[in-house]
This record gives sequence, C-alpha cells and structure tokens, in this order.
Amino acid sequence: MACDKALSVQALFDGELDATASAEIERHMVACAECDALFKDLASTRAALREHAPYYRADAALRSSVARALAKETGSRDALGAFFARTRQFWSGAISGAAGAGLAAAFVMFTVMAPVDDRLVADLTGAHLRSLMADHLIDVASSDHHTVKPWFAGHADVSPPVADFAAEGYALIGGRADYIDGRRAAVIVYRHGKHVINVFAWAGREALANETERNGYHIVAWHMDDLAFAAVSDTAVPEIEGLKRLIVGETQSGNKPPTP
Amino acid sequence: MDERRLRFEAQALPHLDAALNLARWLTRSRADADDIVQDAMLRAYRAFDSVRGNEVKPWLLAIVRNCCFTWAKGARRRGHVALGEEVANDDAAFRSAEPDPEAAAIGADEGGKLVRLVEALPEEFRMALILREWEDMSYRQIAEVTGVPIGTVMSRLARARALLKTAWIDRVEGGTRHGVR
Ligand SMILES: [Zn+2]
Repeated sequence: MACDKALSVQALFDGELDATASAEIERHMVACAECDALFKDLASTRAALREHAPYYRADAALRSSVARALAKETGSRDALGAFFARTRQFWSGAISGAAGAGLAAAFVMFTVMAPVDDRLVADLTGAHLRSLMADHLIDVASSDHHTVKPWFAGHADVSPPVADFAAEGYALIGGRADYIDGRRAAVIVYRHGKHVINVFAWAGREALANETERNGYHIVAWHMDDLAFAAVSDTAVPEIEGLKRLIVGETQSGNKPPTP
Repeated sequence: MDERRLRFEAQALPHLDAALNLARWLTRSRADADDIVQDAMLRAYRAFDSVRGNEVKPWLLAIVRNCCFTWAKGARRRGHVALGEEVANDDAAFRSAEPDPEAAAIGADEGGKLVRLVEALPEEFRMALILREWEDMSYRQIAEVTGVPIGTVMSRLARARALLKTAWIDRVEGGTRHGVR
C-alpha cells in the first residue's frame, strides 16, 4: 500500500534531509501521487495540531514547588532566602527590600565582569524567559498595530515600527515594556505556531552577533536606524529570520510615501 | 550562590514547560503531570553534574519520560488506566478511544476531539509526536529522549501521523464541515 519512499517524504517534511536528498525526493513526489498526497496530509495534520492541540505550560504553583524542592535540596537557609528573593524577581520583575538590594549588588558585579555581548545575551534570554514564566508576556494585548505603537510612546524609551504579519504566519499579539542592559526597551510580541517570539528594540548600537544560541533559545539581532533589535525565541533560526525579514521590509516600505 | 543551582536554573529550568507539556500529554492528567515534573526536576538536579550544556533538554525530557513510566506502573498496580497499555495493541485501542460517531456528527468541539485523539495514541507514538510537533526536536534528539534508533523514531512518527490523519482529517473532510486544508 505505502510507497517505499514514505519515510523519506516524512523526513523531507521534517527538515531532516540535505539538499541532494531533498531534491531527489521532490522529483519523486512529482511522479508519485501517493507521496504527493502524503506530504499534504503531513502538513494538514501539523496545521490541525497547531490550531487545536494546546501546549501545556507549568503554572505558578508548580514553579514554586519546584523552586522549593531545589532550595531544600541545596540545604542552607541563607540560600533558601536568597533563592526566593531571586526567583520572585525572576518571575515578577519586582525588586523590593533588602533582598532586592543584595540582588542588585550581585547583579552589578556580574555585569561588570561579563563582556558586553554576554551580558546582553543574558539580559535578552532572561527577559524572554521571564515573559513566558510570569504571565507577563504582554502589557498591551492587541493584534492591532495602531494601538500597540502608541502604547510604546508612553511606556518605553523607543517607539519601534509595529506591524502584524498574521498572514505570513507571525501574528502580533501585543507589546510590553522591559529592561535590556538597564535601558527601557520596547518588546513586540508575536506568536508563530506554538512559539512566542519576543522582538526587543532599544536605543543603542551594540554589536550583537547576528545569531546567538543560549540555553536552547535563539537570538537574531540587527540594527535599523538608531535602534538595536533582537528577536528571541525557542523556535529555529530560519523561522526567526523570517520575522526579521518582514519587519525590515515593512520599515523600508513604510519609509515611502503612503499609497492611497 | 551555589554554582550547580545557578547552572541548573540557567540551563534546565527554561525547559520546565517542555517537561510539563510532555508529562501532561503522556499522563493525560494535570495533577499527575505536576507531581511527575516536580519529582523529575529534583532527580535531574541531583544528577546535573553529569550533563553537558547543549544536551540538557533531551536529557531532562528523558528523565521526565522515565518518571512517567514509573508513575504508570504505580497506577496499574492501583488499578488505574496506565499510559503504556495500548502499545501492544495500538490500532484497536486507538479506535476504541475515539468519540462515538453520534457525538462526532453533532460536531462536538473540534479542538477537544483532536486532543482526545492525540491522547488515545499509543504512548510511544504520542511521545514521538509531542517531541517533534511541540518541541521541534530533530530525529536524533527524539531518539536520545526515547532511547531507540532513529529508524524507530521515524516509523513511530509516521504511524502516529497516519492514525491522526485517518481518524481526524479524513472524517472532517468527509463530513459536512469545511476542510482543514
Ligand atoms: Zn512515492
């Protein structure tokens, strides 16, 4: 029943084939109706899962109990207090009281010692992670760029271009203000399939590597005018690059006079 | 601050959602998944010195998988439905878990139906599917998590997708609803 190329078709679909093998199986699919249909079915199944099947996420209660278990395992009472202070900050972005002051001091030491790139990368992945963990993904929820961009004007130091690319697979879900390297950054939040992509924009000319990987997160960085941009996600680099191209393209067309 | 915990927080904790998602799909129970993940994270933390940075995610999810198996054995002893039981007889189990035709005909919530179908997949097939479609893992990484050769990963994925396609997409397209394509 099944064509013996079926697993190769699936491998092509999953991006597991090199260029030569891809070309070969694509040629086969032109001639083999069964494999052609299989490829379309794989795409339909994936689309249905993305639309209907949830990605279950850890809630605050689980995060706390994991944090408690780890702290208990590490033992020392001091460590426990510091851990809660730090995880609280980690989750809510709020620094308060003596624990916060101690944390700030520790943070300064860390940033002084770390090279610029490393510190930025840590800031970006930290902010990305915090946004996913804290239910603090967005401050202004909207798929309408007309409401997101003005919001930045009042809440961040910069007001980057904002556009929705839902038709291209990158749906604008909102905006957020965050801190990168001590400066207020505007964060434009997109959903791409099951993945969140945070696009950070701040006033700066930092020389970030074009592509960085840290702890399973990918960062794609670029500059536009006087703004530094960094798109952070756990999705693959080519997917993030796709969003970057859309944003850059939108800005370039946005600089032209408006067409009626 | 303890060096190992800093490293664990930076390299393992970011995968907490992936751990919970896998455990939730495998056990079909939020409460059990929470318990399993907490146990798994603690085990991972104790063994963390043995793992390299870039291999943390597959390693962590392998621990979650093992904890799910342990949980399933316990549940079987307690007389509950266990997650591994359908493996030997996958197609039959899959069919028996489908919603009845009448419920499908009146168009019960489309999303809920697909979730139930995924949950009814044989557990090893379901795991391969979750790691591929939800976590974007490569065949090699899935093989690492599940401890089987890459060829087995490929055939499990193919079977999982074929089962879903037959049970869900064909029915949607054959019925009165407009297609998903
Ligand atoms: Zn064929």
